[in-house]
Amino acid sequence: MRLPDFTRTTTFRGAVAVAGMFAIYMLLLFAVIYWQTGRYLMARSDAVVKMQARVFAAASADERLIAVDQLLQQDPRGVQHAGLFAPDGRRIAGNLARVPPELTVDGPAQAALVPVGPNGAGTQVVRAAAHSVPGGGVLVIGRAVDETMQIDEIVGGTLTLGLIPAFCLSVAAGMLLSIRAQRRVAQVNLSVQRIVAGDLHQRLPLRGVDDPFDKLATIVNGMLERIEALVQEIAGVGDDIAHDLRTPLTRVRVALERGRANARTLEESQAVIDRAILGLDQSLAIVTALLRIAEIEHSQRVAGFGAVALADLLREVCDLYEPIAEDKGITLAVEISARPTVRADRDLLFEAVANLVDNAVKFTPKGGAVRLSLRDGDGEAVVRISDTGPGISEQERDQVLRRFYRADPSRQTRGVGLGLSLVAAIVKLHGFRLTITPGPGFVAEIAGPQPQ
Amino acid sequence: MPRLLLIEDDPETAKAITAEFADAGFDVTWAASGIEGLDQARAGQADVIVVDRLLPGMDGLTIVEAVRKDRLRTPVLVLSALGAVDDRVRGLRAGGDDYLTKPFQLVELVARIEALLRRPGESRDTKLRVGPLELDLIGRSARRGDRSIGLLPREFRLLEYMMQRKDQVLTRAMLLEEVWNYKFVPRTNLVDVHMGRLRHKVDEPNEAPMIHSVRGVGFVLRAPA
Repeated sequence: MRLPDFTRTTTFRGAVAVAGMFAIYMLLLFAVIYWQTGRYLMARSDAVVKMQARVFAAASADERLIAVDQLLQQDPRGVQHAGLFAPDGRRIAGNLARVPPELTVDGPAQAALVPVGPNGAGTQVVRAAAHSVPGGGVLVIGRAVDETMQIDEIVGGTLTLGLIPAFCLSVAAGMLLSIRAQRRVAQVNLSVQRIVAGDLHQRLPLRGVDDPFDKLATIVNGMLERIEALVQEIAGVGDDIAHDLRTPLTRVRVALERGRANARTLEESQAVIDRAILGLDQSLAIVTALLRIAEIEHSQRVAGFGAVALADLLREVCDLYEPIAEDKGITLAVEISARPTVRADRDLLFEAVANLVDNAVKFTPKGGAVRLSLRDGDGEAVVRISDTGPGISEQERDQVLRRFYRADPSRQTRGVGLGLSLVAAIVKLHGFRLTITPGPGFVAEIAGPQPQ
Repeated sequence: MPRLLLIEDDPETAKAITAEFADAGFDVTWAASGIEGLDQARAGQADVIVVDRLLPGMDGLTIVEAVRKDRLRTPVLVLSALGAVDDRVRGLRAGGDDYLTKPFQLVELVARIEALLRRPGESRDTKLRVGPLELDLIGRSARRGDRSIGLLPREFRLLEYMMQRKDQVLTRAMLLEEVWNYKFVPRTNLVDVHMGRLRHKVDEPNEAPMIHSVRGVGFVLRAPA
């Protein structure tokens, strides 16, 4: 027979296992109770028997006879046994035919086999004690231990009443939980199927309750959100690449086509070819810049990290850009108020700072200033690059870090427009912070922790 | 005639490179596969080797490593289509002497190969001389004939590099990498501006020019004729 599906789930199997363990535990518990109670009752029975035998034996002969008679008469359940025997073994009174051979006179109470029923047809185990009577003879008092049988009944009954429903309940709970879990899995599966089919807006269903399933679903949903954002970003980048590549490539095509038709002299042909090469170089620069950003964004290269003295790095960048700034009539100055070191890839950090300076020099008009400063801010090394150029608006600030965005809508400034996204990628790789403050001028800050 | 071994699997690229180097006065041997290239390289006939990293069934770096294991000191330039920065480091660590990313300008490749062939040896000279130009490496001073030239440290470094490689075409990328230790190509005309400054100081209007621009390629320092 094939078992239903839910029986194969771990929830259900767990529930059955727990129920089984619970049952075993109950059985053991009841066994201990049974055994302990039985021992206690037997000890009490023994004490009673022994005391009766001693008290009766100590009484006078007449009183003893009356006591034995009374004991037997006041016993509606027929559990009492007694016998008064003469020294020669003859019975004087009582319902026992003879002294049970197992008993030791004046010894402890113990189990003895006595005949019962009409004509002594059956036998019964009783707890009995024999006591010597003053002046000769033996008194035997016995008591059938039917209490143990009652305990059997009680314990057995309780066990059945408690154990079977508990076991059934556990199994039922297991089934219920298992079926519920399976239903949740089925729902999740449905959502996942849709996501796999391409619907990235889909999210896993939430119940709004604080259970592990909901927590897991929340985590997965967070992940899905990130994936969706990334996919959209990639799609956007694809469009941007297509657009930015199309422009120079179209120029190349047009130039070549016109050149082929119109160029008459070698010089004219060379001029056309030079223009074509320039267009191709621009296209290649875009591809190279994108590959670099992708490389930096996806690299885990911390192997090249070391202690970098920022003051020296800033001076070197300044040294590199000073002539250009001078040619443009821009002041380029470095202000160093601390000498912090950070853990970084020197080449990449140099590239990031150089890019920011490059931008600043490019966008600052003649007569303006570009300032590099280095300071210690609460254990963080802060590199600040500011200029007196037009700056950017608040809305532009986030966009400016996106690939290909250029604040100049006419796109007349040279360059690929990937500089800032490259800086952002490098800063992110280092775990540093990049802040761009809108106006006056363009102010960029890179902040990184100083190693202790 | 310097002998160049080219290990490159794409016939069209190989043809263009071969033609360019033939024009530059090289004797080019072309190996189209890694195995053939490795055999040729081990034969030790070449003065300089250009090897593509992505060869069918073989990484160009394997060839470089094998050649170095044979204790051949032939200079090797590694070509790669991978746009990875770490690749450059890996290429140089494997024993390559220079690294160029595809697509590249043919003139850049030629300039670099010539630079590899004429690599300045360990010189103990404390003074460099090119024509009337003299550079004192200890005193950190420069003069042209009787005229003393005041140089900034960065200008001194640039002139020193160029004087060690007189008559060689030096590309912008080479200068950035070697003089400024700059690992990427910036977008602005950095090198040209620096070179302009230096030229202004070295070549005065009434003197015969020593620093020449090579159109579309870079710069060269020559003694005046």
